[in-house]
Amino acid sequence: MRLAGIIFLLVLAACNSRTNNESKKVAVIISTLNNPWFVVLAQTAADKAQSLGYEAKIFDSQNNTALEADHFDNAIAAGYDAILFNPTDADGSVVNAMKAQSAGIPVFCMDREVNSIDAATSQILSDSYSGCVAIGKYFVETMKRKGTYVEILGMVGDNNTWNRSKGFHSVVDFYPDLKMVAQQSAGFDRNKAMEVMESILQANPDIDAVFCGNDAMASGAFQALVAAGKIDKVKVFGFDGAEDVIRSIKEGKVAATGMQFPKIMAETAAVYADEFFKGKRDFPKKVPVAVELVTAKNIDDYMGYGKKE
Amino acid sequence: MKAIVAIVIVGIVAYNSVYFRKLDEHKASGVAKEFDAIGYAKTFWEKKLPQRLDSAIELGVLKEMLSTDPGNAFAQHSHALGIGNLRYFLVKETGVVTNVGSDDIRLDKGVKVATEFIFGNSVRDASGLVNVNEFTNTMDFNNVSAEINKIIREQVLPPFKASVKKESKVKVIGAIELNKEHLDLSDIEIIPVQLELVDTENAGN
Repeated sequence: MRLAGIIFLLVLAACNSRTNNESKKVAVIISTLNNPWFVVLAQTAADKAQSLGYEAKIFDSQNNTALEADHFDNAIAAGYDAILFNPTDADGSVVNAMKAQSAGIPVFCMDREVNSIDAATSQILSDSYSGCVAIGKYFVETMKRKGTYVEILGMVGDNNTWNRSKGFHSVVDFYPDLKMVAQQSAGFDRNKAMEVMESILQANPDIDAVFCGNDAMASGAFQALVAAGKIDKVKVFGFDGAEDVIRSIKEGKVAATGMQFPKIMAETAAVYADEFFKGKRDFPKKVPVAVELVTAKNIDDYMGYGKKE
Repeated sequence: MKAIVAIVIVGIVAYNSVYFRKLDEHKASGVAKEFDAIGYAKTFWEKKLPQRLDSAIELGVLKEMLSTDPGNAFAQHSHALGIGNLRYFLVKETGVVTNVGSDDIRLDKGVKVATEFIFGNSVRDASGLVNVNEFTNTMDFNNVSAEINKIIREQVLPPFKASVKKESKVKVIGAIELNKEHLDLSDIEIIPVQLELVDTENAGN
């Protein structure tokens, strides 16, 4: 009987001797995995959390705030200890992040913002506005300050969509001979952007350029322009630094993109979760991550989703 | 007759049920309505920034430091609001104009001063005076830069552009952006905060 008691205590001690790291779980809730850029963001976050000793699982919200809410409910119920979060909607996702925070679970936003300073423990965000100011300046120079263009926007509920658009227009709108003939959303989706571009080209066959709010849409627009036989005349500008667009810039097919650094954002979020578990509480509410202009001039410094090592 | 009335009613209901707005107008209406970016930029420009201009480093000194000890130069003299390679410096330079172009003027010191593309966050961020965490929404934060740039375009540049010419001697204090990882000192552009033509007879250098 005494032996059984000792064994029981040893087992209990062994259980307790497991470090807190091993018992903690990190949920990576991502707006969509139907875009390679977000796959890199999600996978890097999960990999970094695992490398720090935590269990990590990726949840795909499929750009659906209701599904995202289900993921939060499940993560809370399943006892996850931190959420690395890429929101579907700046306003609509606030309630989900608040729910987790109320349950004592820290939320670290990656790349996309929620419109509440208190909803997340910290928000690590691309400086989309500044990146698109740089693209806008390059756009004006490349277009020699005149011509017609189209803008394809991302998701209308996402702040990045408007930070990018506003950054771009903060420069381009100073030049009245640059005329925007269409502005339409394609929800950051490649296939949708191809359809939107095809449709716009029917009404505006003689455009000179297209500015897209992300590289997936730039690739979709590019495809539509190739199919319409207009790619040699129309300059394509994207945003993200996705692998295929970096390749296209190198080949002279795309004019420019803004390089975001998804790996840096994801790794920073995972490190913040680790620091939270270790007792840190004074996180900066927002951490902007610089976006760099990539053109044919400096393309050799970059690779898909970041800088060359 | 009934059918016509029904069509008219349906038409009126449909017309009043749907309206179209540009997407950017729709979104713009929902942001920055409580934040006074113009007032913030005015206070920044008139009261806060002037006190910081004394800390601007001579561009020649900075370039020397960047060549010999870039890590220290960035640590001591640059500001940035977050993570990344782009960092901002407050600098000062005096030089003779070698070219007056449509976008900038070039000085004999191998540097250009922007006179056309006054955009971005260089001045806001180089000052080290604005904290992103004071802002609920990044759009408000971005609007501060837009308003600062507007002040430069409207107050700093017009009198200068009206009188500058080739071989003018110019003194400038302003902001520059440098990429820490891919440092390029051959194409430095100053966004001006103060620009003045120097009286060459009384100038010290």
